[in-house]
Amino acid sequence: MATDWAGDNLVRFPGGGGGEPEDMADDNTIMVQRTLRSGQSLQFEGNVVILGDVNPGAEVVATGNVVVMGSLRGVVHAGAEGDSNAAVYAFRLQPTQLRIANRITRAPDGEQSFSTTPEVARIRDGMVVIESFQTGPDRQG
Amino acid sequence: MGEVIVITSGKGGVGKTTTSANLGAGLASAGSRVCLIDADIGLRNLDVVMGLENRIVYDLVDVTSGNCSFRKALIKDKRFDKLFLMPAAQTKDKTAVNPAQMEVLCNEIKDDFDYVLIDCPAGIEQGFRNAIAGADQAIVVTTPEVSAVRDADRIIGLLEKEDLREPKLIVNRMRHQMVKHGDMMSIDDIIEILAIDLLGVVPEDELVVVSTNRGEMVVLNNNSKSGQAYRNIVRRIRGEDVPMMSLEDSGLFGKLRRIIGLK
Ligand SMILES: Nc1ncnc2c1ncn2[C@@H]1O[C@H](COP(=O)(O)OP(=O)(O)OP(=O)(O)O)[C@@H](O)[C@H]1O
Ligand SMILES: [Mg+2]
Repeated sequence: MATDWAGDNLVRFPGGGGGEPEDMADDNTIMVQRTLRSGQSLQFEGNVVILGDVNPGAEVVATGNVVVMGSLRGVVHAGAEGDSNAAVYAFRLQPTQLRIANRITRAPDGEQSFSTTPEVARIRDGMVVIESFQTGPDRQG
Repeated sequence: MGEVIVITSGKGGVGKTTTSANLGAGLASAGSRVCLIDADIGLRNLDVVMGLENRIVYDLVDVTSGNCSFRKALIKDKRFDKLFLMPAAQTKDKTAVNPAQMEVLCNEIKDDFDYVLIDCPAGIEQGFRNAIAGADQAIVVTTPEVSAVRDADRIIGLLEKEDLREPKLIVNRMRHQMVKHGDMMSIDDIIEILAIDLLGVVPEDELVVVSTNRGEMVVLNNNSKSGQAYRNIVRRIRGEDVPMMSLEDSGLFGKLRRIIGLK
């Protein structure tokens, strides 16, 4: 797959913030009830929900979104066939490398994120941005 | 009927053979009947570590290929009547044995023993598959290094696939001083990634090397920290509930300091 480091092909994020839970429902979704360990790779056409960790040396590739209900420390690729609306959610987002569509990011060398709140990575204005993920009060109840 | 436990790691040189020899001797000295199988064919050294090299006549490959019965190949330890070793062949290579043969052998041997410990070769190739084929349980050995932990994780994944679920972890060569200074992974860091039960922590100890070179086992040395750690692991394997040794500061001086209140 061609990867794009240069930053051309700026992707405009559609209005409304994207990534609403409803948006995910029309795709195929797989639930994985275990931790992915080093050397294990999961590839799926659709969304992937992992009820466990993704350890260093493990890899998840999904054409849709990736949700990790645990620590994400391995390599993750959401929107693997070019869907730049895809997002990656994790309780602890510390990937070795994170790819969305044709964007590739990694933590700066020597830096580690210590966020203890759930976070989401998605493309905004052509760049992968990481934000803390909170369900707003309007969504509850 | 006994339990067959494979001692494995992924990464080489982290202490599988040392662990096998010490747990074997420790279990035997606690009264269990123990058979150690050296599954590291082509690179045998469990016999050397145990000081039994000069007694080998038959080996594992002789048994699996039907040249002799397993009882004939077993070497009795010089210290314990209840400790036996099935040596690896040095002159053959690992393809001389296959997983099905190992399974048959383990099932045969475990009737005669309480514990059968298998010293696994490094790696994830055929030697590994042979070593785990007949096992009921697995102990994963790692050192507190990122690469060793990564390989341990890989191995745990492979063990789970072979239905060896819930392996137990031994962290070897721990240097508490380095952890304190943030220069080494802590037990917590390791457990957070591997997420399996901790069976014990063995400190870095030059007495391990000294004993090994003499064909002795440090577990039998009452004045060593590593020996104490191995004895605790032995008791846990035998089903006792033994609390973990203080992880941050071992040794009498540390304890004294805490009692006096210097800490
Ligand atoms: N706790 C320890 N403190 C100090 N030295 C140790 C300790 N444990 C093991 N060693 C030393 O580390 C070296 C490697 O140990 P060992 O042979 O048991 O590893 P192994 O995992 O069996 O290696 P291989 O993968 O080659 O079979 C040996 O020289 C041994 O004496
Ligand atoms: Mg060895």
